Amino acid sequence: MAGRSTQEVVVAGTGLVGLEVARQLCDRGERVRVVDHDPRRVEKARHLGFEAEEVDLADDDELERLGIGRDVDILFSLLEDDARNVFLVISARALDPEMSIVSIAETQETVKRLYAAGATKVIDPYQISGYKIYELMHRPLIAETLERTVFGKDVDLEIAEIPVPKGSFLDGVYLDRLGLNTAYDLVVLGVVDRYYGDHLIFATDPKRHKIDVDDVLVVIGPRRELERLRRDLEGGRSA
Amino acid sequence: MSAADWVVRLAYELEESDRYRRVKQAVYDLLENPHSAVRPYFDLFMMALVLSSVFLLLYSVKHPLGAWADTFENVVVTLFILEYLGRLWVYDSVHGHIIEEYEKSELINEPFRLRRALWAVVRAKWSYMTTPMAIIDLLAILPSYRPLRILRLFLLFRLFKLFRYAQNIQEFASVLKEKRVEFFTLFTFLMFILLVGSSAIYLFESPAAGGQVEGFFEGIYWALVTLSTVGYGDITPQTPEGRFVTMVLIISGIGVISFFTSIVVSAFQEKLGEVHDRQVASLLQKKRGYTVICGFGRVGEVVAAYLHGDRRPFVVVDHERDKVDQARRLGYWAVHGKAEQLGMLRKLGVGTNAGCLLCLTGDDVVNVYATLTGRQLDPNIQIISRANHHRTLDKLMLAGATHALEPFKIVGLIAGEYIGQPVAFEAIHGIVMGQQDISLEAIRIPEGSWLDGRRIEEVPLSELRLILFGVITPPERESDHVKSHYDLARRRFQFNPGADFVLLGNDLLLVFGHRYSILRLRHRLKC
Repeated sequence: MAGRSTQEVVVAGTGLVGLEVARQLCDRGERVRVVDHDPRRVEKARHLGFEAEEVDLADDDELERLGIGRDVDILFSLLEDDARNVFLVISARALDPEMSIVSIAETQETVKRLYAAGATKVIDPYQISGYKIYELMHRPLIAETLERTVFGKDVDLEIAEIPVPKGSFLDGVYLDRLGLNTAYDLVVLGVVDRYYGDHLIFATDPKRHKIDVDDVLVVIGPRRELERLRRDLEGGRSA
Repeated sequence: MSAADWVVRLAYELEESDRYRRVKQAVYDLLENPHSAVRPYFDLFMMALVLSSVFLLLYSVKHPLGAWADTFENVVVTLFILEYLGRLWVYDSVHGHIIEEYEKSELINEPFRLRRALWAVVRAKWSYMTTPMAIIDLLAILPSYRPLRILRLFLLFRLFKLFRYAQNIQEFASVLKEKRVEFFTLFTFLMFILLVGSSAIYLFESPAAGGQVEGFFEGIYWALVTLSTVGYGDITPQTPEGRFVTMVLIISGIGVISFFTSIVVSAFQEKLGEVHDRQVASLLQKKRGYTVICGFGRVGEVVAAYLHGDRRPFVVVDHERDKVDQARRLGYWAVHGKAEQLGMLRKLGVGTNAGCLLCLTGDDVVNVYATLTGRQLDPNIQIISRANHHRTLDKLMLAGATHALEPFKIVGLIAGEYIGQPVAFEAIHGIVMGQQDISLEAIRIPEGSWLDGRRIEEVPLSELRLILFGVITPPERESDHVKSHYDLARRRFQFNPGADFVLLGNDLLLVFGHRYSILRLRHRLKC
């Protein structure tokens, strides 16, 4: 997914999850710093080619030294212990009320606790994996289609956020009249209107929605079509 | 031709005979095969036979019976004899022993000795005849032989035959058998006390000393009655010495009884899990296409909850006791054991009845091993496995998994998408995870329905408030109205087909929409 500014990302925890996330973020071209309190794990992470630091995550001074509260944009709290994750999330949130904090939870209970502690997003890998397995068994075709298109590796079909620039040909059009499926080979899922909050207004919503500036369209389609749409929107051309 | 040659030839003929094998298999299924369908009916029939013959015996104590009772008795005994011979026959293969001996002698270039072969046969059959069940069978038949009528008492052994036909009782016996060392200790102790007690009481309480114990047998009888804390009181000690012996005996009696009780209780407590496991295994034999979940960690728990919600049958296996207990508390079928053992998966029906195997433990070694084992047992079973380390994925596919997935990789994917496009990702994720009212569903177009042969623009998508994602068709379908298509394993996904795309029967429409919209479209297709 192209066209993003480089952000300051810190991944806390160098267990299986931490390293996997760091690896994928690096693959996407993000600058990632990995931190852990265990010097041997830090050494291992360094050995694997990550920019790793030894930091006592229970100490606020050390967190500040890392840049939390100043230039860190996103913190991933991926420690292998729920209690320590909660503690890190609380400490980081206290230092910086704006930063995005993503964490993982072992149990459903911890999910709630992490949100209460101030996490922006909590991922429950087991819940997701369990559901995926269930999907594979019970709706194998849908699972396979998504795996081969949207969620898989090296696939052409992508989900993308398209912001609507001022004065573009989409500005002022009704959501159900966009016609992107014929003009661009794109399927429009819906739109996020910041005015109404961060949730997605689905394209078939009974209340007709008029697109205006700063709305974000959520569309699925081949990469080349997405690029074409972005170019056309920026160029101010009409379809 | 010598007798030996003739026997060997007959043995080979039997070995080759298909009919002989079939008949023997049928008898085996009827009598012994625990998985056969007829066996339960046979067992019930034999139980009825045993009970009615014993009932007749008891009835005849006071009421004379006619000739028909004798006929019935003869029929019963004939059936018992046939059953006994049948079991003796299917226990092992006589001609197999002969062929084995013959081939052995051929191999080392020695003349074939019939006597040695027959001896092997007799030894094998004898080892069957001396098993407790075979002895009980024989004792149930013997009393009908006229010269042995005094053995009528043994007719009651028929009741023991019930053991054979009732699985639960056999389980009971097998549990107690595990404690034979303890029982032996107890028995030795009991015999010792009995001997000391009865000798002492006979010495002190003989009629000469003013007591009631007339012989040594009475001494033993009294000692046992006292020791067991039954204490009839028909014989009571009269002398101070005798009373002293009684007191000692009563105290040791309490010890013996409590020891006995504790052995039985602890035997059952230890085996309770196993008994439960066996029950689950026998319940599973009646089901088909169920799912076996190896590992009841968080992932296993989530899958189990979904399957339970769908009322799909499944069984959980985990090597940790408290995980198994937890699964049982939730009302699932669960078995305690290690999934990587060959015997365990087979016991759970992998290779026979199971339709899907999920290897979801937190240990990759176990997952790979269980996947491999499952694939060996059944080439067609669906296997979905969990890779905890990203390097394990390929190993799982090599081992024969149908699908493999990495929970931690999923975290990575979500994390990556989250950085880039949080809203888009949340949206599609919510839809795919079934967390919203909007979902992605596949709708099959039945052959001959009103959409069969129609174009996309004729599908009432906007009327029903649905968004078309694509159409799944057979792999060879080409269309000018599709700009991008993606090949699945056996199908083709046509993304965003144009308004003129023609739908055929058995195509699948992939649509996003509210579940009521999807229900309505499904309903319309049925009409």
